[in-house]
Amino acid sequence: MIDEDLVESVLDAAMSQGRPLLAEVRAEATDSRNVAVKSGVASSIVSSKDAGMNVRIVLPTGIGFASSNGMSKAVGAELAKRAYMLAKNVRLKHPAEMSQEQPVRTSWEVRQDKPLADTTIEGQVDFLKGIDAAVMKTKVKVEGRYFEVRTSETRSSFANSDGSRISSFLPRVRVDSSLVVTSKGDSEQSMREFGGVGGWEVVESWDLEKALADEVRMLKTVIDKGKMVKPGTYDLVCGPEVAGIAAHESCGHPMEADRILGREMSQAGKSFVKPEMINFRVGSEYATVVDDPTIPGSYGYYAYDQEGVRARPRYLYKEGLMNEFLTNRETAATLGCQSNASSRSENYLREPIVRMANTHVAPGDFEDDEIFGSVKEGVLMHSFTEWNIDDKRYNQKYVSREAYFIEDGELGGPVKRCALEITTPGFWGAVDAVSKHVKHNAAECGKGDPAQSMAVFTGGPMMRLRGVALK
Amino acid sequence: MSELKEAAQEIVGYARDAGADDAVAEVFDHRTHQIRYSNSRIDASNWWSLKHAHVFVAVGKRTLSTDLLDLASAKASTEALVQGARITPENSAYTGIASGKFKYRRGRADPKIVAMRSPTKHVHDAISAAAREGATDVGGTLFVKHMRAAIASSGGALAEDETAALELSVRAFSQPEASGHALCLTHKLSGMDARGTGSRAGQMAFLAKDPVQGDVGKLDLILEPMFLGELMHSTSHMISAFYVEVGMSMFAKKVGKKVASEQVTLVDDPTIPSTSQRAFDHEGVPTRRTVLIDKGVLKTYLHDTSTAKRFKTKTTGNAGPYVPLGFDPPAAPLPIHPVLEPGDLSVEEMIADTKNGLYLNNTWYTRYQSYSRGDFSTIPRDAILKIEDGRIVGAVKSIRVSDNMLSLWKNIDAVSKSTEEVYWWDEVAPPSTLPSVRVRSMNITRSS
Repeated sequence: MIDEDLVESVLDAAMSQGRPLLAEVRAEATDSRNVAVKSGVASSIVSSKDAGMNVRIVLPTGIGFASSNGMSKAVGAELAKRAYMLAKNVRLKHPAEMSQEQPVRTSWEVRQDKPLADTTIEGQVDFLKGIDAAVMKTKVKVEGRYFEVRTSETRSSFANSDGSRISSFLPRVRVDSSLVVTSKGDSEQSMREFGGVGGWEVVESWDLEKALADEVRMLKTVIDKGKMVKPGTYDLVCGPEVAGIAAHESCGHPMEADRILGREMSQAGKSFVKPEMINFRVGSEYATVVDDPTIPGSYGYYAYDQEGVRARPRYLYKEGLMNEFLTNRETAATLGCQSNASSRSENYLREPIVRMANTHVAPGDFEDDEIFGSVKEGVLMHSFTEWNIDDKRYNQKYVSREAYFIEDGELGGPVKRCALEITTPGFWGAVDAVSKHVKHNAAECGKGDPAQSMAVFTGGPMMRLRGVALK
Repeated sequence: MSELKEAAQEIVGYARDAGADDAVAEVFDHRTHQIRYSNSRIDASNWWSLKHAHVFVAVGKRTLSTDLLDLASAKASTEALVQGARITPENSAYTGIASGKFKYRRGRADPKIVAMRSPTKHVHDAISAAAREGATDVGGTLFVKHMRAAIASSGGALAEDETAALELSVRAFSQPEASGHALCLTHKLSGMDARGTGSRAGQMAFLAKDPVQGDVGKLDLILEPMFLGELMHSTSHMISAFYVEVGMSMFAKKVGKKVASEQVTLVDDPTIPSTSQRAFDHEGVPTRRTVLIDKGVLKTYLHDTSTAKRFKTKTTGNAGPYVPLGFDPPAAPLPIHPVLEPGDLSVEEMIADTKNGLYLNNTWYTRYQSYSRGDFSTIPRDAILKIEDGRIVGAVKSIRVSDNMLSLWKNIDAVSKSTEEVYWWDEVAPPSTLPSVRVRSMNITRSS
């Protein structure tokens, strides 16, 4: 447990530095473990305990943030003094502002059926070796096999000068796999990530031995039987993984208020979205994208953000219209609205900034088979390998990992490396049907400077795009 | 002996006393001050400090590592680590740590950087200089970094190191879709040229004005050091033996073979004065200059002691951290400071000698369909300038380079004589010293 009196005393120290508009203190302790199995051998095992604090002070002259490992009154007092001096020395011409938010006193936690603290290193190595054995048992030639399991349990205590006091406990699990299949002198790669919050029961629910054995069989089929698409215009059905990456890259990121206002301009970039574009049409009436931190068990789950604002679903694109930006208290003040709880940081060392949580395409009315049943000539792109998007989030590219031809409403043979290169309105404007069944995938989102890796879900249902160029 | 060196040596002693056969302790003390600015004003002033130790122990072939954040409890934590190692499954591929009598160069940090208290002047200078070139919107970061490190191992390593750096990144916009980006990295305060960096970003933003949709097809590309630094990120990682072993490298089975044009000589050189100069790698081996590609021929992979034994060679002094950092896996050999040897042309001569091409300032989001084949694409950002008959004739936008990375290295036919140290965000990394290069006939695509 974190000593809440310590957090209180550091907040007092921060408040005594002058008359801040806002002072915040966060103390955080994380137990983590990282186990890796490479080519069937336990190649690296790391077990660590981290603890530290940060202080953020907002003065009319600017924002100062100071952090350090170590948890004591002396460390806290030093951070408070330093954060105050940093804020004072910024010397803004226009005063810094933060949105006014309701103070909260609460605690929240994610429960575990099988606590991560009870799992053993040996058990985790055996778990990964079991996956490796299942992959090898397929008899597919897998030249590269690397698996990692990462577990963490984070306890946090937050206090601010508005009166918020929030404590939390968040256990998180993640498994990464990297597989390279070779056949007939060619190769295909798969880099998968599985993640969630909760105990070891979450990992067991993924049935990774089956999932990754199926994955290498699929890659071999793509190499052996896959055919390239003849470049042209086709209907495209995106599976949940492809719908999810598009939701993340060309909806979630451009709708981050800090990018829209320019604060990330030299790193993650700006956005094609401008502050005045709420209600601007970006897609068809079937294009609705939600970012929801409150999905139980989700990899990007949180109940309150790092500024103490209660989390809620945010409808970013709603029936094709830009509906709501992702905001923190700083950007909300600039935009003249309330924060919608998008403030997150990788850990106590880093400044909290606007981040996504779980971004997915909202479900529609169709069954999955109805989505491709009316496609005369097209492609079902289940999953992707190469992808990228420009720094204003307008021009994107997705290349298939698993894809199939569709002919007269029936699924055909596998497609090899089919590429979609399209603009954001081009993508969302082409959507004409969405299925009922949403599936999620875990991912690490990178943003901020220094780069902060953030746990998120991407996802969606099957989604049909009419008449897009494939090559 | 410094307190860091003592701490590292003590941790190794605790580990040995508790029964570890091998032990490595690397103690760090980082202090970082960052100014973030955008829209031509400072947004936030951030400072952080981290004092910790990476500790690795092995009992036989049973290994365990930790990031030890509470140095006050080092004895108890190290003893617990060794106890933990005893019950971990064996790592049959583990072949021990480096051992021997090592000689080290010790880095010295510029005391003027260490003593800096308020670096905001450099930010204001950069913003003003970019504005003088016509920029309407300027953003970026200024880092002031000071790092001390010490390492000890049961293999005989005992050393300390110190670095300080100033890293200025300036991105300037002259129009919403016209920008330029410039960097200044220096290990000496006297090397900070904020005005020059701001001017350069502003000039590139000016040249990038009024961009039109770029053409698709094959074009010759002149890549600035920043652009090349982004490609160096994945290229230099794929030279690591770790990525070769897991099948994620286009360099697999290519030692001794041609992987680039004769113009390309690539070395990893952490010994030259730079922001990432390092005296030792993460298992305590003194760093060295390692030729990776000599006139187009791949000479070696990057190794630590374990991978070197598996590949029947010697470590190159590139052992990575025992704990995962960022997106890098733990215990994997990593590049420290790639250097591409300069050529003999000026950038102006390279432009004058190009009939139909693009001059590219920066890029990001380099992603691979296949690391083993090298098929990739990347999205140029900031100034994308069109070259016709040896002259820059305008700016373009919304293009993508979609090609093969081995082809790119093989198609380099000109290298500039000027080089620049580059490091930016998580894209242009690790810090590298690079020239501009010209690449013939690369495939350009764009959204339909």
